[in-house]
Amino acid sequence: MDSVIPSETNPFGYPETIWRLFQETPRAGGFPPDTEGVVTGEAGSHASRAVLRLQLRFDEKGRVADARFRAYGCPSTIAVGAWIAGWCLGKTAFTLSGLQSADLRQTLEISYDRAHCAMVGEDALRAALDRYSGEQKT
Amino acid sequence: MIYLDYAATAPLDPNALKAMLPFLRTDSGFANPASAHGPGVQARNAVEAARAQVAALIGAEPNEIVWTSGATESNNLALKGAIEFRGLRSAHIVSARTEHKSVLDSCRHLETVGVRVTLLKPDADGLVSPEQVLEALRPDTTLVSLMWVNNEIGAVQEVQRLAPLLRERGVLFHVDAVQGVGKLPLDLRSTPIDLLSVSAHKLYGPKGIGALYVRRKPRARLAPQMHGGGHEWGMRSGTLPTHQAVGMGVACEVAAARLRVDAERLGGLRELMWQCLQVLPRIHRNGPAESGNTRRAPHVLNVSFEGVEGESLRAALPQLAVSSGSACSSATQEPSYVLRALGRDDELANASLRFSFGRGTTAEHVELAAQMVIRQVQRLRELSPLWTA
Repeated sequence: MDSVIPSETNPFGYPETIWRLFQETPRAGGFPPDTEGVVTGEAGSHASRAVLRLQLRFDEKGRVADARFRAYGCPSTIAVGAWIAGWCLGKTAFTLSGLQSADLRQTLEISYDRAHCAMVGEDALRAALDRYSGEQKT
Repeated sequence: MIYLDYAATAPLDPNALKAMLPFLRTDSGFANPASAHGPGVQARNAVEAARAQVAALIGAEPNEIVWTSGATESNNLALKGAIEFRGLRSAHIVSARTEHKSVLDSCRHLETVGVRVTLLKPDADGLVSPEQVLEALRPDTTLVSLMWVNNEIGAVQEVQRLAPLLRERGVLFHVDAVQGVGKLPLDLRSTPIDLLSVSAHKLYGPKGIGALYVRRKPRARLAPQMHGGGHEWGMRSGTLPTHQAVGMGVACEVAAARLRVDAERLGGLRELMWQCLQVLPRIHRNGPAESGNTRRAPHVLNVSFEGVEGESLRAALPQLAVSSGSACSSATQEPSYVLRALGRDDELANASLRFSFGRGTTAEHVELAAQMVIRQVQRLRELSPLWTA
C-alpha cells in the first residue's frame, strides 16, 4: 500500500493555454518604482476573488516595450493577466484598445461561468490605457 | 502524485481484497446468502462471520449490525427510521451545523414533514460540548445526532461523555462515526450510543458497503427505509453483497489489530505536516487548538492560507491529492460550510486544504508534500497584487 500514485499533468481539465500560462506565469511581477514610461491599470475586487494589475512600459514611439502583471484569483484570471502582458508587446495604445473580453474568452477558451475573468482582463487593460492617454495629454 | 486524502477514501486492504475474491468468482461463493441451499448457506456464513468482525471492532453484538450500502444510507436510516418508527411527525432533533450532508439533508427532509430541528453552532474549534447539547433538549426531543470525528477538520466530539447523559434523559443518540471507527477506540458495551454509522471504505474496506449499529438493549427500533424481503431483521431489505461484507469484515479486523499503532503514527505525521508548514506566515489550523490528541483525530489536518485564492491553490498542486475547503461546484466556488460554521470568513474557508494521512503515508511523503505546498503558496502570494508580506 503506497501513497504515491500515477497522475495526469492537468487533472482539473483546464484549457491547455490557461493551464500553461497559469503554471509558467510569464511576465509575472512588476517594474521597479519610477521606471520611465510605465502605466498601471487595475481591475476587479478582493470580494469577487479576481484582481488583476497590469503594468505597461511604453517606448518613445508609443509602443509597448515591456509588460508585467500581478493577479489574485482563479487560474483563468491569472492566465488572462499573463496572456495580455504577452500580447501587448510591440502594440500601440490604439491597437490595444480594440481588445475585448469576448476575444479573451475565445482565445483562452474561457467558459461562460468564468466570463468575469476575461472582463477583469479587459478592464485592467482599459484602466492602463486610460492612464497612458491621460499622461499623453499632460 | 502523493495521496493525502485518506479521509475521503482509503485503498482496499490487500487482506480484504484476498478475502473478497472467492465470492466474486463464478465457481464458488456467488450464491445468494438468503438462499436455503448449500452454496447459499456458505455465503450466509461468510456474511455472518463478517458481521461479527464489524461488531468486534466497536464492542457490539453481531445482531446489532445492519448492513447498508454505506454511511449515507446508514445516516438516512438512523434519522428517518427512528423518527418514522415512533410516528412522531412533530418530534424534535438536535444536531450540529458541521455534520455530514447526509445527516443535514436527512434533517432537512424530516423538517418538510413536520419534524423540528435544532442545529447547534460549534465553537471556533469545531466542538459542540455535551452541555450545549443538553441545553438544546426539549421535552419533545426524540433524537440527538452528532458526528464523532468531523470529516473536514478532524474535531473529535465527546460522544462518550454525552451518551450516558442522553440515556438518562431517554433521548436516542445517533453517532456518525465514519471518521472515527478504526482510528479511535470505541466500546459500545460501555458507551450507551443507540445508533452508530460506519463506512467500509474509510477504513480500507470496499466502497459500496457500510453498517448501522442498532442497539438491542434497550432496543433502538427503526422503520425501514428500504422495503422488500425483510432482510436485516426487517430494517433494510435487499440481497446482501457477500464479497463486500466479507471485505468490510476483514478491514475491521485489520483495523482493530492496528488501531493503536496506526493512531500514534498518523498523529505524528499530522504534527510533522503542521510543523513543516510553519515556514509560511499567516496560516491557520482549522479544528481544535488543544495540542494533545484527545480532541484531534490522528489522521486529519486542515489548514487555511491567507492571501491565496482557493481554486488556484488546488490547481497549483496537481501532484498532491488533497481535499479542499471548497465544495464540488467550481461554478459557485462555494466555501466549506464546516469552516464557515467555525467562523472562518469566505476567503479563508475557500483557501484551505485538508491533508489526511493513512497507512501508506510516510514522513518523506509528508515533507515532500509540505515543500510543494510551501512553494506554491509563496508563488501565488508573490503573484498577488493584494499580498503584503
